[in-house]
Amino acid sequence: MNSGLEARDLTLCYDDRVVCHELSLQIPDDRFTAIIGPNGCGKSTLLKALARTLRPSSGQVLLDDRPIGARGSREVARRVALLPQNPVVPDAIRVRDLVARGRYPYHSLWRQWSPGDRAAIDEAVELTGVGDLLERPVAELSGGQRQRVWVAMVLAQQTRTLLLDEPTTFLDIAHQFDLLELFARLQRDGRTVVAVLHDLGQAARFADHLVLMKEGAVVAEGEPEEVLTPDLLADVFGLRSVVVPDPLTRTPMVVPVPSSVPAGTA
Amino acid sequence: MSATAPRLVRLGNAVAVPVTRRGMTYAWSVTALVMVLAVATLSLGDLGVPLDHLPRALTGGADGAEAFVLERLRGPRLVVAVTAGAALAVSGSLFQTVTRNPLASPDVIGLTAGAGAGAAAASVFWSGAVPVPVGAVAGAVSAAMLVHLSTGRGFSSPSHVIIAGIGVAAMALALIQYVVLVGMRDQSTALAGYLAGSLSARSWQHAALVGAALLVLLPAAALMGQRLRLIEMGDELADALGGEAHRTRFWSLVVAIALAAAAVAVAGPISFVSLTAPQVAKRITRAPGAAVLSTALTGSLILVVADLAAQQAPVVRDLPVGILTAGVGGLYLGFLLVREWKKGTL
Repeated sequence: MNSGLEARDLTLCYDDRVVCHELSLQIPDDRFTAIIGPNGCGKSTLLKALARTLRPSSGQVLLDDRPIGARGSREVARRVALLPQNPVVPDAIRVRDLVARGRYPYHSLWRQWSPGDRAAIDEAVELTGVGDLLERPVAELSGGQRQRVWVAMVLAQQTRTLLLDEPTTFLDIAHQFDLLELFARLQRDGRTVVAVLHDLGQAARFADHLVLMKEGAVVAEGEPEEVLTPDLLADVFGLRSVVVPDPLTRTPMVVPVPSSVPAGTA
Repeated sequence: MSATAPRLVRLGNAVAVPVTRRGMTYAWSVTALVMVLAVATLSLGDLGVPLDHLPRALTGGADGAEAFVLERLRGPRLVVAVTAGAALAVSGSLFQTVTRNPLASPDVIGLTAGAGAGAAAASVFWSGAVPVPVGAVAGAVSAAMLVHLSTGRGFSSPSHVIIAGIGVAAMALALIQYVVLVGMRDQSTALAGYLAGSLSARSWQHAALVGAALLVLLPAAALMGQRLRLIEMGDELADALGGEAHRTRFWSLVVAIALAAAAVAVAGPISFVSLTAPQVAKRITRAPGAAVLSTALTGSLILVVADLAAQQAPVVRDLPVGILTAGVGGLYLGFLLVREWKKGTL
């Protein structure tokens, strides 16, 4: 089942600081993987390496069993898309033009428009529901609208795999759910989705595969029920909690134990 | 609602470059304007070639005083204004795009000051041995290399490039002041004109130098346009889209430095064309990214206007053209700063 993305003995550094040490991980195809873990545990760094935007110090990332670093940058960009945490909105750009930039991997020096562009952009616009915004400057949009436009840009890239770095962080709860529903739908339509998420309940509800990280290493991975256990959460987050089933979806829901409740009673 | 296909400039199946109607209109309008001003530059004033003589004079039928004005006085000067303006503008546009900073330009990163210092040293210390333009190019390239070395990470971090550039510019200005102080009086006076940027007494050799640089570097800049548009969205996204941010930034800056060095060698460190032209072009065409053609034409326009004023306008007549562009540019810079400040991004 695994022909897609794989990290093998990956060591990742910023300058001299080692973030991940000999990490290995297989991203399951056609599923929604959520990478969770405390701040600074290397989630985003791992995502960057998977997207070929950070060169590993040692080890390699394999895409379809071939090292990603040995492949052309555009070739990889037609297969894997990354939505970073803080993309920059270019001055005065309109939604239409921003979405169209996702088509770069299909262009060449002289051909800056390819025949598939129009259908790809239309589809991305349709999926994200930004059709009414096409002529608007991106800078004028609300946070939720803007994030949808970025997702549309990434979808216009027409990759089988989507890597999303904290895609919901700055949004209100309604927009968060909105986007997560969209990602879940994209996965059902046949894409592999990998997202760094902070909200454990949301991760459990929308993702079907969780990767729990601590200090640059993968501590646990599997179904949400296997990963979100009080013991693992205490170990990784230093958080006392009980895990109960979500009343609507039956997926695990983490309830932190307040300090006013003495140990042993929860 | 459908995302309609953009208008394309096509050449068979191999070339397809999207253009906007607005961008085309702007390019044609500015071209027309530059041509009108070119005619004015050649025909206005006491020495001007009268309008009805101009067609014949331009096709080789000029003689006597008219030939002298056309071939020695105003012709080269006009061509230098058009080409140097374009070179400075595109250089500025590249700087601004790769640093994602609308205030970046060869002025700000110390390139023009370096060129000035090189020219100053050449004219005062090695007068006769080193031609001033050669000194200018050497100074510009040294400044760029100093910036590259002193950031500790080359050109990869925009904010480091700008901070290092400010330091290099300050050192270069100090060197200029030192040279002017110790230099002989007459040389210093000629130098003062050069340091403000001037187009008077240019020759066809000057025009040819910038022209040749443009011929090579403008297509290079245009070809990098696509990748530069990706860099605008941040290095990470540019890399993820296959845009190779670091390599693109490095080569863009090499092209930008070469363009600025060519212009500065011939016309002196003319201020603010490189800062303002890209911003003006961007705002009017509403095209994000480095639209090379519109930017180049805007630079030509600004410099031709300023030089026409330097030749013909009352009050400012005979001032070095760099002072005029600095006057206009200074106002514009103020406007930009206020705008950034209001947006809270400064």
